[in-house]
Amino acid sequence: MSSKSKVRKEILMGNQALGRGLVENGVAVMTAYPGTPSSEILPSVVHYGAEMKHPPYCEWSVNEKVAVEVALSSAYTGQRSAVAMKMVGLNVALDPVMSAAYIGVIGGMILISADDPGPHSSQTEQDSRLLAHFAKLPVFDPDSPAMARDLVGPAFALSERFQIPVMIRPTLRVCHGRQNLNLREPKELGRAPVFQRDPFRWAAIPKMRLALHHALNAKLAKIQDYLSKSKSLNKWHAPLRPRAPLGILASGVSAALARDVLAELGLPVGEGKVPFLQTAAPYPLPTQPVSELIAGCRNVLVLEETEPVLELLAPQRDQLWGRASGHVPSAGELTPEVLGEVLERALAEAKLKPPRPRGKILTVPDQPPMRRPNLCPGCSHRAVFYSLRRALPTGVYPSDIGCYTLGMNQGAVDTCHDMGAAVTFASALSRGLNQAGDETPVVATIGDSTFFHSGITGLVNAVYNGSRFVLVILDNETTSMTGMQPTPESGLTADGHPGQAVDIKKLVEGCGVRWLTELDPYQMGDLQKTLKKAWRWCKGPEGSVAVIIARHACAAQRPKDAVAVPCKVAVKGQAAPVTTSFRPKDNPCADCGRCVAVCPVGALSRTGKGKIKVDQAKCTGCRLCAEVCPTGTMVLEPAGACVACGLCSTWFACPALAKDAKGYISIDRGWCVDCGLCAEVCAHGAIAPLEESK
Amino acid sequence: MSRLKWQAVVAGVGGQGVLFVSRALASAVEPVAGAILISEVHGMAQRGGAVVSHLKAGPFSGPLVSFGQADLLLALDPGEAVRNLTYLAPKGHLVVNAPDLEFLSPKARKALASFGAQVLTVPATELAGRAGTAKGANVVLLGAAAAVGALPVKLEELERAICDGQPQARAQANQKLLSLGAEAAAQV
Repeated sequence: MSSKSKVRKEILMGNQALGRGLVENGVAVMTAYPGTPSSEILPSVVHYGAEMKHPPYCEWSVNEKVAVEVALSSAYTGQRSAVAMKMVGLNVALDPVMSAAYIGVIGGMILISADDPGPHSSQTEQDSRLLAHFAKLPVFDPDSPAMARDLVGPAFALSERFQIPVMIRPTLRVCHGRQNLNLREPKELGRAPVFQRDPFRWAAIPKMRLALHHALNAKLAKIQDYLSKSKSLNKWHAPLRPRAPLGILASGVSAALARDVLAELGLPVGEGKVPFLQTAAPYPLPTQPVSELIAGCRNVLVLEETEPVLELLAPQRDQLWGRASGHVPSAGELTPEVLGEVLERALAEAKLKPPRPRGKILTVPDQPPMRRPNLCPGCSHRAVFYSLRRALPTGVYPSDIGCYTLGMNQGAVDTCHDMGAAVTFASALSRGLNQAGDETPVVATIGDSTFFHSGITGLVNAVYNGSRFVLVILDNETTSMTGMQPTPESGLTADGHPGQAVDIKKLVEGCGVRWLTELDPYQMGDLQKTLKKAWRWCKGPEGSVAVIIARHACAAQRPKDAVAVPCKVAVKGQAAPVTTSFRPKDNPCADCGRCVAVCPVGALSRTGKGKIKVDQAKCTGCRLCAEVCPTGTMVLEPAGACVACGLCSTWFACPALAKDAKGYISIDRGWCVDCGLCAEVCAHGAIAPLEESK
Repeated sequence: MSRLKWQAVVAGVGGQGVLFVSRALASAVEPVAGAILISEVHGMAQRGGAVVSHLKAGPFSGPLVSFGQADLLLALDPGEAVRNLTYLAPKGHLVVNAPDLEFLSPKARKALASFGAQVLTVPATELAGRAGTAKGANVVLLGAAAAVGALPVKLEELERAICDGQPQARAQANQKLLSLGAEAAAQV
């Protein structure tokens, strides 16, 4: 522990600042499910908690609903608890969250829901503050890492004073912002957990819920009064002045950025030309200062992300300029550029001329193309998606949320909706298509952590209701996208202690799955055979859900295990582009349809029995049709050199496969990790292992 | 003494060490600036996507740099330099990992020249590769930026911020990379 006399100053990420704040305020139980931008909060509590004599109990819960229930019931016992998630996780947790305000807590409880305006790493731009309002929970909205840390104490105090959980809603720019701040000492409250039996409260039946609702409304009125009186939560950056034409009401990061942009416009808030009120408590809205601001200004510009909350809760709305009036965009992040335009327009309409225009900006033509995120070189998911397209090329591929969503680059992800939806979508799509007599293979992919989170229920449902599809569980033994948090399978707990491992295979068997196999997706040939076999079983008389557990270490977390047998490859030279030809004269066509199905560009079509037409303009000469043709009717000799067909860059899509202007491939040694998988992809044998590593 | 106000944008591709650079700059500048705000990008974008980090040192409130306000645009990848030129201030420094400005179209070169920014190109990946670690290009570029006065701190202060508290071998490797960058900048 650091000595009290010496101030420890550190540059902390917003999520670390929240973790630090929790430890400085005596959190005893911390739960979370990882999700960008919230993932670093729990590890920070583990990290700083180690400075305490009795570190807090920390767990990576299996999903956000579980996480909320663990934190909530811990707070029933008088301990301080916290739970962290990203905002879509809050949707998963909404069931226990909705009752939390009615029942309340004894020890303080903080629910951190991190929003992602933009969105940068999420499915939606939803505003958790609206869900706080919906669930009748007070919510704090920090504008910076320092403020996030500083709000933890007041949030616990409010929570305990009124016996109600309190939400803190940071946005991405707070979570992944960094700021230097002075660390305070960790606090140990030394409260022993006590469960006071009170079934009329903890197990309230509907009739009692009405009484609880009345009590909650009275409580919220008191909280509103309490928040209205707080000087620290409602900050006047510029005070009211007589007959002000324009005032600003703001919350969160927008409040911070607007101050910088106003300074760039030559109107620093310190000069007091525009009254500026920032509230850290959007709900229940501190009506007293907000009313004062609105009453004192002709118009008030409301700046907040991402939905109108202050704007809708404000007591007088006629004078407000915000989303309803069209002054603030209703989608997207309020970046300095957006805020600049919003402020310039508002100032102009209020007849306040900014002393100076915003600075000169360099714009250049010829912007480079957008860089798409991609799976890491050596990632085994890439092998699964490639094999999927090779083995069942006409399939429909529902997928899920995680790194493997990037299988989209390989054309092997058709749906991505919410955690676990790969399984339920696959069961519905396969049932619908099969009932209509359509034999399209349906193959779902889901990651290990996502399977634990929400895939199991869908699997039980699919087995119980007799769905027929192949489910590939991509098991890389970690939660990769969010930063390698352990899964239940790892048997490691959040603080690195051994827990009990949960076996995915046994779990799948327990769900009633009768066709199950485990394999290493690096063996792409085996995987392709297994996929075909699994689908044949699915559509057979005894068929149901077939599960393949494709297990291989994450290439980012354990690169040495992922590429256990390095195989350096090279491109053997370049040859002129080629196309395939259909020659039924010597070898009659078996009419199996494999060539048409496998063609990546739709260049082949069946024009009659045993007749295939090749669209030479479309054909890239990738040679897959010749490779799958059982009769030798599709003819294209392997070139033994790159013919610029583009198959590897589209179906395998590895960042180490660099493409030149003419479409020829070379190996980018800066990216290549020597996994050797691409050598199996090229049907011309152009990518081959170097002699020394064979 | 008026407090330092300095803003930088660091741009690159996932895996190039953008976040390391902005954190190193932050710890080097903190003693002169007092207050530090950084914005980082994590999650999906890190998987081979574009990564940008904003750094504001001094009396600022928000973590994002406005267009036309960056005193320094440090680009670990030439394509990302192009994408982020809008952040550069008219008298700012552009320090980019490239042998020359050939990565810009003639039109873009002209626009950059008439904008008035100070431009430094450094073949940092090549220099770091010759020193045995191509991944060290980010540190080479930092050394070059410090040597031409594109940072509000001297090379020695940057070196202290990067190397202090690191294992000796690591510290020595980084010292070497910094001086490679500084030498390259001196030759321009």
